[in-house]
Amino acid sequence: MTDFTWMIGGEAGFGIMTTGLVFSKIATRSGYHIFDYVEYPSLIRGGHNAYEVHIFDSEVSHLSPNIDVLVCLNKETYEKHKARLTSSSLVMFDENEFEIKEEINKVIVPFKKILSDFKGQPIMKNTIALGASIGLLGGDVDGLIKIITEQFSKKGDEVINFNKQFIQAGFDVIKKNYLEKIVNYLIKKAGEEKLVMTGNDAFSLGSVIADARVYVAYPMTPSSTVLTDLAAWQEKTGMVARHAEDEISVINTAIGSSFAGVRSAVGTSGGGFALMVESISFAGITEIPLVVFIAQRPGPATGMPTWTEQGDLLFSVFSGHGEFPKIVLAPGDNEEMIELTAKAYNLADVYQMQVIVMSDMYLSESHKSVSKKFIDEFVETYKINRGKLIDKKSEANLKSKYLRYKITDDGISPRLVPGTPGHFYQANSYEHVEDGHTTEEANPRIDQVDKRARKWKTYLNQDFVMPKVYGNLEKSEAVFVSWGSTKGIVLQAQKLLKTKGIDSAFIHFNHLYPFDKEKVTALFSRQNKKYILLENNSWGQFGKLLAMETGVEIKEKILRYDGRSITAEEVVARIK
Amino acid sequence: MIASTIQDFSGYNPTWCPGCGDWGIGVAIKQALIQLGLSPSTVAAVFGIGCSGNMNDFLNVYAIHSLHGRAIPNAIGIKIANHKMPVIAIVGDGDCYGEGGNHLVHACRGNHDITIIVHDNSVYGLTTGQVAPTAQKGFKSKSTPNGILETPINPLSLTITSGATFVAQSFAGDALHVVSMIKAGIEHKGFSVINILQPCVTFNKINTYQYYLQRVYKLDENYKKNDFKTAVEKSLEVSEEKFPLGVIYQVKKPTFTDQIPQIMETTLVNKKRFIDFEKIIKPFI
Repeated sequence: MTDFTWMIGGEAGFGIMTTGLVFSKIATRSGYHIFDYVEYPSLIRGGHNAYEVHIFDSEVSHLSPNIDVLVCLNKETYEKHKARLTSSSLVMFDENEFEIKEEINKVIVPFKKILSDFKGQPIMKNTIALGASIGLLGGDVDGLIKIITEQFSKKGDEVINFNKQFIQAGFDVIKKNYLEKIVNYLIKKAGEEKLVMTGNDAFSLGSVIADARVYVAYPMTPSSTVLTDLAAWQEKTGMVARHAEDEISVINTAIGSSFAGVRSAVGTSGGGFALMVESISFAGITEIPLVVFIAQRPGPATGMPTWTEQGDLLFSVFSGHGEFPKIVLAPGDNEEMIELTAKAYNLADVYQMQVIVMSDMYLSESHKSVSKKFIDEFVETYKINRGKLIDKKSEANLKSKYLRYKITDDGISPRLVPGTPGHFYQANSYEHVEDGHTTEEANPRIDQVDKRARKWKTYLNQDFVMPKVYGNLEKSEAVFVSWGSTKGIVLQAQKLLKTKGIDSAFIHFNHLYPFDKEKVTALFSRQNKKYILLENNSWGQFGKLLAMETGVEIKEKILRYDGRSITAEEVVARIK
Repeated sequence: MIASTIQDFSGYNPTWCPGCGDWGIGVAIKQALIQLGLSPSTVAAVFGIGCSGNMNDFLNVYAIHSLHGRAIPNAIGIKIANHKMPVIAIVGDGDCYGEGGNHLVHACRGNHDITIIVHDNSVYGLTTGQVAPTAQKGFKSKSTPNGILETPINPLSLTITSGATFVAQSFAGDALHVVSMIKAGIEHKGFSVINILQPCVTFNKINTYQYYLQRVYKLDENYKKNDFKTAVEKSLEVSEEKFPLGVIYQVKKPTFTDQIPQIMETTLVNKKRFIDFEKIIKPFI
């Protein structure tokens, strides 16, 4: 099969988001893979919402330039997205609500009449549209009814049956009037079990797998669903999810709980992170482990809250006053998000550092299907590593005087859980000597700065992972360089180029900072190659970081900063 | 168990100015901890930044020497992770009522079971004598040479009306009273604030020992500390420069951690790892 895209659009506040998610789940339960994307303004009511689902036989994490089925619950949907229609695209709408004059492939569904016949609420237009869409795509209507039944299970049979009528009515319109237009894109087939999750869901799941016990946040788009996920799960998982009064309190609560011995994380977007930065530095000098999730959106300031950008890379890498080590990771997709999130908690504990996990609206809010088997296997193999945390078994061996900031070769000092009998120590935001007491003397200062810096060296030797190279670096002339959420897009661009007979390579960084300078420099030492930097920002921030660290300057750049993600087609167009 | 001594709790020798109220408060904190049967291993303290915060090096306990204004959220975090451990925050007026004012208000609302010991001397000592949020209107300082334009924060009425369930005031010149208030605050289950009036002998020539001695008085035995309106009224006397000493307000309410079902049986730090991932994964299918 070829891939296809279904999109539904309508006025904000009328259930477009839920409807899109239901459609994604029908697709995955029917044996397909999906990647979806929502477009919405920073409003609750009014304004335009659109939800597109890209469906494919195998794994997919990019959007298609074309829309194959466009469901228009209002005229604006058509106007905004008609440029992406092709001659074979189907457009579903109600002629009683608005007219479309252009010659297009129309599928008329009388939403208004059906609503009035069955006395439905306006929001049930979505349910009709789902029934009709499934009919049009040769999909599994029983599967759709099952999802709706699950969704309304708490509300009882009456509500379920009421909703079923609208599914059936939509479905029947197609069967009655549009048999010849049915395109069998969604025929149910065997396939492995899949989860439909966003990057934020993936971070949340990764945190649970890693045994995070405290998550603190202040709502901020596009990071907020991590807080709502973890809060909804907390009675099951035993975690405490706290919505604090501001981001300053957020990070300081987590510093407190981490100090007291539990794995702790915070999550936010750029503006919230700006408020936290003071305490990133504080956690840095006190060497208190912390995982920080940043879902970027276009700034500066309030910027464009519901759109995407990779504009906070340098801010994150250099966040915090003073000099101290931290680790920045940037997963490329949901699978990497689960793995790297769980790894982040280990790194935070092992190196007693802040580990920043970078996402953006594109990754955080898009759903991508993830194989259940992948998650099961990951859960099997993941091992919690708390590093040099002194546990109940080893605390008896503690020498008489415990030194929290003991000078060691690897830079990492043993860490004691407060409450351990017979000892005490302070985590000191002032420069300190080995036992934690404040110092302003020259030598202990140098010792501690150097000790903290050695942790970076240890990390580079033990846990840093080189960027993955997709394609053949030796053979290809074009070499893409990117990081984080652009992964799926570049992989798709590589596929498209291949069909044109062009070989390309792709260096994808997800262990973003620090990196091994020598090894990374070697990746850029090949002659006669065209390196192309690809980022969703206007400065080419990773390019700057790379140049700063290695002297390698990538001249060719594909940068997009209009709030939308770069597309594979744009990339291909630049290679010709 | 052998009771702890002043020596056990004593770290470095204090560097406070001779005659500073911090000396009395420092000893009172140790005394209170001893009298409560605590040891340096069984209590957690978070210090703010300021002369008071410098107690971090003088008091032996499990501690965080925090940033200016951030001690309260740190203390909340410790409490959430290990709610069986007594947690105190040792802070100054600028620290707690200025830089960290927002945290204070919201911590009151949460009734977090932590004890906030505020050193209130109306000035910033460590940065050499600028005005603090509790200074009387018109107070002249290096940062307000013509006198401060703002009216002072009223720590008592602010915390009582924000939801604190224990609000007390004490005076650094009466160490025994300070001990009794700190003990009562730590023993109270819920958010407790002890505002300790304290002269700064170096930078505050107005609010001296003499000044306070003439204006403080102890609440009498018939004072109804559990009555909200009485407490608010009492707290307003501060604006007339009358300073009641004692527990101004105390009521019993569920604490923040009392209301979290997942830590009813075991503290978060001592819980077993959650591994029933199917429960979380299933709804995504």
